[in-house]
Amino acid sequence: MKIGLFIPCYVDAVFPEVGVATYRLLRHLGYDVRYPEGQTCCGQPMANAGFEGESVALGERFEDKFAGFDYVVAPSVSCTAFIKLNYPRLLKGKHECSAAKKTIDVVEFLHDIAKVDRPLGRFPYKVSLHNSCHGVRELHLSSPSELNTVKFNKIKDLLALVEGIEVVEPDRPDECCGFGGMFSVEETGVSTKMGQQKLMRHMATGAHYITGPDCSCLMHMAGIAARQGCPIEFRHVVEILAAGL
Amino acid sequence: MDSKEYILGRFRRNVGKKYDMPDLGSIAGITYPDPLVQFINITQTNGSNLFELKPGDDINKLIMECYPDAKTIASSLPEIRIANRNPETVASARDLDGTDVGVVRAELGVAENGCMWVPQQCKEKVVDFISENLVILLPRDSIVNNMHEAYRKIKFNSYNFGTFIAGASKTADIAQVLVVGAQAARSCTIFLV
Amino acid sequence: MSTSHSRLADKFLENDKYAQWHDNTFWGVRQKRDRMADEVPEWEQLRQMASDIKRHTITHLDRYLEQFEANAVKNGAIVHWAKDADEFNSIIYGILREHDVKKLVKSKSMLTEECEMNPYLEAHGVEVVETDLGERIIQLNDQKPSHIVMPAIHLDHHEVGQLFENKLGSEKDNHDPTYLTYQARLSLRHEFLTADAGLTGANFGVAATGDIVVCTNEGNADMATSVPPLHIAVMGLEKVIPDYDSLAVFHRLLARSATGQPTTVYTSHFRTNRPTARKMHIVLLDNGRTEWIANPQHWETLKCIRCGSCMNTCPVYRLSGGYSYSYFIPGPLGINLGMLRDPQAHSGNVSACTLCLSCQNTCPVKVNLGDQVYQWRQQLDEFGTANKQKKFICKGMDAVFTRPKVYNMATDNAHLANHIPSFIMECGLNPWAKGHKMMKFPKKPFHKLFKDLEKDEDGK
Repeated sequence: MKIGLFIPCYVDAVFPEVGVATYRLLRHLGYDVRYPEGQTCCGQPMANAGFEGESVALGERFEDKFAGFDYVVAPSVSCTAFIKLNYPRLLKGKHECSAAKKTIDVVEFLHDIAKVDRPLGRFPYKVSLHNSCHGVRELHLSSPSELNTVKFNKIKDLLALVEGIEVVEPDRPDECCGFGGMFSVEETGVSTKMGQQKLMRHMATGAHYITGPDCSCLMHMAGIAARQGCPIEFRHVVEILAAGL
Repeated sequence: MDSKEYILGRFRRNVGKKYDMPDLGSIAGITYPDPLVQFINITQTNGSNLFELKPGDDINKLIMECYPDAKTIASSLPEIRIANRNPETVASARDLDGTDVGVVRAELGVAENGCMWVPQQCKEKVVDFISENLVILLPRDSIVNNMHEAYRKIKFNSYNFGTFIAGASKTADIAQVLVVGAQAARSCTIFLV
Repeated sequence: MSTSHSRLADKFLENDKYAQWHDNTFWGVRQKRDRMADEVPEWEQLRQMASDIKRHTITHLDRYLEQFEANAVKNGAIVHWAKDADEFNSIIYGILREHDVKKLVKSKSMLTEECEMNPYLEAHGVEVVETDLGERIIQLNDQKPSHIVMPAIHLDHHEVGQLFENKLGSEKDNHDPTYLTYQARLSLRHEFLTADAGLTGANFGVAATGDIVVCTNEGNADMATSVPPLHIAVMGLEKVIPDYDSLAVFHRLLARSATGQPTTVYTSHFRTNRPTARKMHIVLLDNGRTEWIANPQHWETLKCIRCGSCMNTCPVYRLSGGYSYSYFIPGPLGINLGMLRDPQAHSGNVSACTLCLSCQNTCPVKVNLGDQVYQWRQQLDEFGTANKQKKFICKGMDAVFTRPKVYNMATDNAHLANHIPSFIMECGLNPWAKGHKMMKFPKKPFHKLFKDLEKDEDGK
C-alpha cells in the first residue's frame, strides 16, 4: 500500500510538527509513506470565500502530484472534506478525479484502514477533545449531536490507545468554534465571540490540553487563548497519538 | 390570462427533474407496550389533569369537584347536566365569552404526543377555545400509538372542522418563560370514559 | 472587510450579557429539540421521508394545487391565486372590503410579513391586530419579528412590561411574564370578540381533502376563526402536501423540531366555514416560488416547513440575533430565501455562516442550507456583490499556491520576516489581531523538515 502524505499549506507553514507526527506515526505502523514535493493548498480557502474557480488548477495539480498512490493521507479534516466533496464537481470534464476517492483524513485512516488497536504513545494529561465541524458533519469521524443515530467517535477510540490520557469533551461537544476560514475575517466579531465561548467550555473541563483533528480550529482557539492568557495548550490528535513513539 | 393559469404555466415551464413519491408504508411508527399508559404519562408532562372514570362515577360531580368555583359551564353534550350554556343554541359565538368550564368530547387520543381529536360537535366550536378551563371526555379504548395511526382513523362530520388538542393553551413568547393560559383554555382536564 | 451582517452583529455583541442570554436561550431550544429527536427511534427515517415527500410534491405542484383547489371548493371554500405580493394584498383587501371589515384579527403568518400586508391594509383603513403573543408584542412595539417562531425573543420581560404599561395599561413595574401574558389575554380577548374577520396562515394544505392545517400553542388561530364571521386562510404554494399519510410525517417533525415539544397544543383542520360564518376564503401565493423551482442549486429551499430549527442551532444566529440579517427571515433559512428574493439586496448576509452544517442536520426536511450558502458565495462575483478585497486576496492566494516555488519561498522565509507572509496575512488573518494573538511561525516549514526526517531514517 503506497501512501502519499498531503500536508496542507497552513500545516506546512505554521504547524510542521503535525506533519512530522503524521509521518512518524504512519512509519511506526509500517506504512510506505511518500511526501511528493511541490504541494501547496487544496483550494478550500478561496472556495469557501466564494471563488472556487481559483481551486480548479490546484485540484488538477493535486491529481498529478498524487497519481499512483493508494491513499492520500492528510492531517486536516476541512481540507480532506473539501477535496472529497468538491473536487469531483470542480474537476468534472477537466481531469479524472481519483483524489476524492483516495484522500482520507489521518484519523479515519488510522481507525478504518489501519484499524489500529495496539497501544500507541504516552500522554499522561487530561485532554479536551475538539470535534471539528467538517470532521463530524462531512467526514463522519463522530456521530453529530443533531442526529438520532448510533453514537460513536473515532477520535476518542484512537485516543483510548494512548497511555495515561484522560479524554473529556466540552459542553456542546460538536458546536462550531467560529473559525470558518474567510468567516473569521468577514465576521470577526462573531467569530471571536464563538471562539471565546468555545475556549471557555474546553477550559471548564479542567483539561491541560485541547486536541482536535484540524489545526485551523486549534489555531483559532490558540490565538484567543494566547490573547487572553489562558493556561491551556493545543495539540493535533496525531501529535498525541505519536507522543513518545 | 388569469393568475392561476399564469402561475401553473410558469411552474410547468420551470420545473426540472421530477421526483417520485416515497413509500410511506415503510415507516415504522413508534409503538408502546401499553399506549394508554404512555398517553397518561404524556398528559402529565404537558400539564393536563387526567382522571379515569370508574363505573358508577358521575361525571357532573367530578367536574364540579375539579372546578368548584365554576359558575358558567358550557356544553352541548347531553350527559353534562350541570351545563348552563349550550354552544349549540347560543345566538352568537360571542355569547360563550366568560365560560368557566367547557366540556367537549374527543374521539381519539394519541400516545406519542397527547393529542386528542376533537371534531366540531355543535354550532359554535369556540367552546373548545374560549372556555377558561376545558374538560375533554376521551374514550379510554380510543388511544392509538402515533400520528400515522391517528391520521388514518380520524373522521370528520358535516361541520368539516376538527382539531387535535394537547392540553391547555401555552406561550413562551415573553422572555422564553413558559406560561400556561395564553389565548385559549387556561387548564385542561381529561376524563377517560 | 465587513459585511452588512457583520456590522450589525458587532452592534448586537456590544451587549455581552444579552448576547449570552440569546445564545443560551436558543441553545436550550436546540437541546429540547435533540431530546425530542432522540425519543423517536424512526426520527432519521421521518426526516428522509419528509424530504422525499416535499421533493415529490414540489416537483408536482401543479397537480397537487389543482387537486387542493378542487377539494377546497367542494368543501365550500373560495380559492384565490395571487402571483405576487401586490395581487395578494389587493385580493385580501378586496375580500375585507366586500364584507365591510373594519377590524381583522390574525394569527402568525410569515406570508403576510413577506407581502407586507399589515401596512397595506392599515393604509386602506383596516385595523389589523396580531394575536400571537410574540407578534402582538412586536406590533405594539412597531418592530419586525427577530425569529420566525419566537418573534419577540429580542425583548426581555422588562421591556415587554414597560410596553404593556404604555399600550395596555398594565400595572406599573409588574414585569412578571405570567402577569403580562394574562394582560395580553384580556386585551386580545376583546379584540377577538369585536373583530369582523380572522386571518390565518397555513402550516399545510392537504390536497386530498382540501384541509388548511394550522398549528399553534396559544389557540389564537382558533380564537381568530371561531368568533369573527369571516375566515381568510393564506398559504404559500409550497405548503401543499398530498394527503393525511404525508401530514402525519410532517406533524411528527414540526413541533419537535421547532420548540422541542411532541406536538403543538392545537392542530386545527379547516375545511370550510362555521355554520354561522360566511364562506371561507383561501389565498394561494406564488411571489417568486415558481421561479425559484427553476434554480437547480436552490429549489430545495422550497421544502422548508418554517420550524426555525436552523436558526436555533446556528451559532452565528445565536450570537448575532435576527436583526443582523437584512431579510425579514434570519438565520440559515433567511440567508437563502433572501438571496432567492433579491441577491443584490441581501448578499450582505451570505457571510453569516461558518459552514458548520449543523443546520442541515437539524432541518426536518433536509434542506441543505449550509451547502447552499457555499453555493451563493460562488455566485456573488456574478451578482456584482463580491467584496473586491476578498476577490483580490483569493486571486493572490491562487497565484501563490499554483506556483510551488513562490509558495516555498514565502513559507521558507516566514520566520525571518518577523511577521506573517503576505499571502496569509492578506487572506485575512490580520483582522484577527482584534481577538487573537498571532501565531508564531516555525523556523522551518514541513516541506523542509521532511528532508531531515528522511535523512534520519536513512541514517538508521
